[in-house]
Amino acid sequence: MRHFKTLLFHELKLAFHSWNTWATAGLFLTLMGTIYWFALLECSRSPQPWTPVEGTFKLFWLPLLCILPLLTMRSFSEERRAGTLSSLLTTPASIAAIVWAKFLAAWITWVTLWLGFIPFTLLVNLRLGSVNEQRLSDPSVLIGALSFIFMSGLLHVAIGILCSCLTRSSALAALLTFITLLGLTAAGGALESLPIESWTWLGWLREPAAHLRTFGHLQDFAAGVIDSRPLVLYITGNLLCLGLAVLAVEGQE
Amino acid sequence: MTEPTTQPVAAVVAELLTKRYGSLTAIEDLSFTVAPGEIVGFLGPNGAGKSTTMKILAGTMAGTSGRATIWGESVSLNPAAAKSHLAYMPENNPLPDDLRVEEYLTLRAKLKNVESKNVQARVEKVMIDCDLIRRAKGRLIGQLSKGFRQRVGIADALLAQPKVIILDEPTIGLDPHQILGIRDLIRSLRGQMAVLISSHILHEVEQVCDKVVIINRGRLVAQGKTEDLRRELLPNAVFKLTSNTPLAQLLEICLPIESATKIEIQENLAGGWVRYQITIPTQSAIRENLAAHLIKAGVALREIAEEHYGLEDIFLAATRRTTNDGLKN
Repeated sequence: MRHFKTLLFHELKLAFHSWNTWATAGLFLTLMGTIYWFALLECSRSPQPWTPVEGTFKLFWLPLLCILPLLTMRSFSEERRAGTLSSLLTTPASIAAIVWAKFLAAWITWVTLWLGFIPFTLLVNLRLGSVNEQRLSDPSVLIGALSFIFMSGLLHVAIGILCSCLTRSSALAALLTFITLLGLTAAGGALESLPIESWTWLGWLREPAAHLRTFGHLQDFAAGVIDSRPLVLYITGNLLCLGLAVLAVEGQE
Repeated sequence: MTEPTTQPVAAVVAELLTKRYGSLTAIEDLSFTVAPGEIVGFLGPNGAGKSTTMKILAGTMAGTSGRATIWGESVSLNPAAAKSHLAYMPENNPLPDDLRVEEYLTLRAKLKNVESKNVQARVEKVMIDCDLIRRAKGRLIGQLSKGFRQRVGIADALLAQPKVIILDEPTIGLDPHQILGIRDLIRSLRGQMAVLISSHILHEVEQVCDKVVIINRGRLVAQGKTEDLRRELLPNAVFKLTSNTPLAQLLEICLPIESATKIEIQENLAGGWVRYQITIPTQSAIRENLAAHLIKAGVALREIAEEHYGLEDIFLAATRRTTNDGLKN
């Protein structure tokens, strides 16, 4: 536990002192600000069934696929390339402590990036405070959507960490993360759009589909519905990925 | 840090260590020990398996079979305890370029179980010992010269005052002044911690180490004190002498005293002088007073000296022996 704390603080310090993180944060906020701007424009032109925050979070897959791999790609691959991972493994710190510290640091960075979106909504509320639109300043949607991001982030960031363990190349790690997250998000979306209910021979897919409907999870969270199934999915997925990451590091060294 | 109740007989034990990569055998049945406080040189030609052995002992690579212990703790069965007694500096000494020296050493001290209240003091101490305090303390590691990077690696190894230090080529790429500094530093560890050091610079090993372990093609070819190995691997003493006495007369003088004496002409010099090489068994009684015998027999001597066999000769004899054995097999 002592090593975990030391490693976590070290990883956080590295993350927030790295130009890579700040460049990624700049990219993220530009992307989210632009999406939010267009969502506001849409809502101002004609009434929409969604709030600007909901509209923005519906495109959460964009930063997920483009930004998250940039945050996790270097965590292990860079250390393996430089040889500093071997050196770290000669200390009494366990591989599990190293993996968990790197994961938690990346997850905290991911969460911090999303928290950086809150000022956009505050600014809009400040600027458009006189507009009589209750949904514009309703914080529950924002809280719900952010909760989804934080929960799903447990799995998504763990996937990034696992991919980074598998290669010495940061670029390849980012690509692997991108493909895996794309597969996971698209699979959920695709299964949701299929008329599984009417295909009896695909009945066995009903349960997995219900678990993987990522966009459905976002809607549930934003609406304040807490379903235990996505929580179990994200937590067990996280444990599985990090367990595999520990084995991958052990195997390679 | 785990403190064993008694000091083990051997600080490092390698017992029948074997490492195979598919059909390639990197090391085979390698056994040796390092006593507490002893400095041992680990020698072998390139590709002999030195780094592989060191990695297995440091716990960063698993062996195929055999047993390795550090301060009585099994490296494979109890890695955390073994690592708490060990510091390892790998060959290329990988360091994070984006950390400052003090920052890096502080992190390493915490990871190596140095007590929180002692971390700052230990970091200061090793920076002083490794001459980092004035010129490198606050600098980024990525901006340091090769010599300073090596010093950071050694400072890291000394941080937690381990019982065992394994240094893989610690002086590679350093200039003579830096080599001298690091050699003195390693020498100062004698009696305090067991040091296993691999190096291609045999002169350096001879100067620093109490004992050497020589491997070739993954197998142990010799181990022991330099003097013992000299006796074992180089059984003959060689004298160079310059005289104007003919070869036949020299043989007449020497053979009755030592029948195994061999004399060869090395070079004919001006004025009838000849440079000879006389080979006699190391254990021979004549070795100690050859010059006196020759003078007593009326041999005119201009020069006589016994050739000094260094570690280089021992290393070459040991590796040549196994290479020849391998060729015969």
